[in-house]
Amino acid sequence: MSAYFLHLAILGGIYIILAVSLNLIVGYAGQVSLGHAAFYGIGAYASALTALLWQFPFPLAALSAVLVSGGCGLALGLPTLRLKEDYLAIVTLGFGVIVDMVFLNLELTGGPDGLPGIPPPRILGMSFRPPVLYLLLTLLAVVLTLTLTHRLVHSYHGRALRAIRDHEVTAKVMGINTPAYKVAIFTLAAALAGLAGSLYAHYITFINPESFGLHTSILALCMVVLGGMGSLPGAVVGALALTVLPEMLRQFKAYQDLIYGGLLVALLIWRPEGLLGRGKLSLKFLQRQ
Amino acid sequence: MFLQQLLNGLTAGAVYALIALGYTMIYGILGLINFAQGEIYMCGAFVTVLLLGTGQVNFFVAFAAGMAAAALLGVALERVAFRPLRGFHPLVPLISAIGASIFLQSLALLLFGPNDRPFPIQFNFSTITIAGLPLSSLQGAILAAALGFMALLVVFVRYTRYGKAIVACALDRDTARLMGVNVDRMVALTFFIGSALSGAAGIMMAIYYNATYPRMGLLPGLKAFSAAILGGVGSIPGAILGGLLLGVAESLGAAYVSSGYKDAIAFAILILVLLFRPQGILKGRGD
Amino acid sequence: MLTLKSVQAGYGRLTVLKGISLHVRPGEVVTLIGGNGAGKSTTLRAISGLLPPARGVVEFNGADLTRLPPERIVALGLALVPEGRRVFASLSVTANLELGAFHRQDQKQVRRDLEEIRERFPLLKERASQAAGTLSGGEQQILAICRALMSRPRLLMLDEPSMGLAPRMVSRVYQILRELKDEGTTLLLIEQNARAALKLADRGYVLETGRIILDGSAAELRDDPEVQRAYLGKGYREVWE
Repeated sequence: MSAYFLHLAILGGIYIILAVSLNLIVGYAGQVSLGHAAFYGIGAYASALTALLWQFPFPLAALSAVLVSGGCGLALGLPTLRLKEDYLAIVTLGFGVIVDMVFLNLELTGGPDGLPGIPPPRILGMSFRPPVLYLLLTLLAVVLTLTLTHRLVHSYHGRALRAIRDHEVTAKVMGINTPAYKVAIFTLAAALAGLAGSLYAHYITFINPESFGLHTSILALCMVVLGGMGSLPGAVVGALALTVLPEMLRQFKAYQDLIYGGLLVALLIWRPEGLLGRGKLSLKFLQRQ
Repeated sequence: MFLQQLLNGLTAGAVYALIALGYTMIYGILGLINFAQGEIYMCGAFVTVLLLGTGQVNFFVAFAAGMAAAALLGVALERVAFRPLRGFHPLVPLISAIGASIFLQSLALLLFGPNDRPFPIQFNFSTITIAGLPLSSLQGAILAAALGFMALLVVFVRYTRYGKAIVACALDRDTARLMGVNVDRMVALTFFIGSALSGAAGIMMAIYYNATYPRMGLLPGLKAFSAAILGGVGSIPGAILGGLLLGVAESLGAAYVSSGYKDAIAFAILILVLLFRPQGILKGRGD
Repeated sequence: MLTLKSVQAGYGRLTVLKGISLHVRPGEVVTLIGGNGAGKSTTLRAISGLLPPARGVVEFNGADLTRLPPERIVALGLALVPEGRRVFASLSVTANLELGAFHRQDQKQVRRDLEEIRERFPLLKERASQAAGTLSGGEQQILAICRALMSRPRLLMLDEPSMGLAPRMVSRVYQILRELKDEGTTLLLIEQNARAALKLADRGYVLETGRIILDGSAAELRDDPEVQRAYLGKGYREVWE
């Protein structure tokens, strides 16, 4: 396996975790988040800072990333998840911008220069610096994430979530505690994004605010919608497609983004339900008459 | 100092309001957040700057051409990127809009390069001092023009046949069709008008900051989008009020709190307002 | 004037109308009665173009409406007063009326019609600039009928005009419909309130689960024991009165 392929595979794995976590919010709780990269960034910085300042070993640093991101998700979710989806979109967008500004302005986070020299993971004396090993570590996290979300989605709670997504008022009437569910899922999604951030930070070993801005949030959302909202395999395929696509377009250099944007529109027109979506989210027949 | 900041804020806010009107009208009629609105703003500025750069065109003609180009781009965008996706989950056209935004931004980058272009003609704007407050006539002109466009829009929506038909489509599409209103045409008209206003906003900002560049629409677009929601999305007076408030808050915040967090202040205020008044300041959809 | 030939229509895979044939002659008042879910509203949606028929033909004065969008159909002289009134709540009463005439090009005549309709219904004049949503249900129904009249229809279709109205307003609405009938307006009326509809109508059709099971003159239908039992509540009358 070439080093380049390994690099793509690791990034792809990290993006899978990010997309799957966002898919929980979008596809299962029916909420729009335009600021998911903020949690990804918070996780990355939390993991890097605990490793740099207090020499936390990787598992502990990753755990703190999960906890800090999840905590931020809880703090944002509690007051805001009663808002309608359009408003939540803007609140999360604003949150993303604010977090980005904080990374840029705080001394602790190194401002625009970011944090260099993040130690690669070392577990039980074994260094995961070699890309093959890091890939294994990433895959482990991916499998963990997928198992967790798969089981959640197919549990009693998963059905409750789908009920909320499809018709919140009805779900409420049926006795489902919709706010609690939404906050819980938002928190979990934020925590998983934090895990992805931690993996990213210790892989690249250098982070700065640029990696966690609006465009990353949008990229994650594109992965989810392109793959098919509410579909776990869809989120995986979407993440991989949007990791590989820009790389494939790299040979076109200047035209890369142009083709990327055009393809995104074309793909959606071709398959509005997403690559692996079941088309259930079409509102064509339910639309306000 | 305070009054100066207030005036700066009002000027930026009036421009945000113009873009916000486009967002709010399009949202009102389609329930769609047109993420590419910032690129339409950029398009208006570029067309005007390029036309003026030839030295053959009068300022007002170039201004009108910039608005027209933005309007046509908006209509084309609706036809290509949004109409085929009508009726699907609202996130699908949103992502399509994001794709269109990436496409247009990189197209502009290819065509015009990343560097700032200065505005080709210099105006002899004076600074008048009133009660110790330096008042730039450039700011005055931008404010007046923006308010003029807003007034025109309000008159159009309230008092013309097509204006009322657009509102009717936003309120109840099927019933509007029963009245003989062609919804597709009204949607196109909405995109035309909303985009023309964004184009005008882009041109004014190109003059104000003396800079035109491919990514110029990003932040004003996001802020205008926030302004639309702040005011109550779908409400025209709300968009105007939201834009002005956001501009002023941002300007005062940058002056008195921290300029490093200037862009964050606008969003922080927005989040706070939404928490206490989730429907926006002026509630509404389509009035 | 209006002819439906084995019209089928539905939502997605659900077929609601399973082959409806009916006709309306000029100057007639025809009613379509039936219970909940019989397909009454769907029939009107199919005629007006809001729900294009999957099969069958809808003809109006020789024109084939089957594939036309609603905005073209209203221009041919076929207006629908939709179920639940559907006035444009945040627009003024006058704006609602003006929208009714949206397809018309004769602006001067529209002005005159507007004046005329306001003279006839002073309510619309008194509340001219008030938002339509602030009117009472009955007033909104009158506005919805007048809005449809502003399109100068040759055939006016009404979907449950008495629904959700106070009894006093129901008689007011029916009084208006009677006046329209006396002026020679052709009406196609859908009602659950079969008693009121059959009193006004010349002819009627009875719709059940997407099919027409009975048709005849209003008097015949009134006397039909099935209709009496199912839709007029005879036999239970003593209990009520």
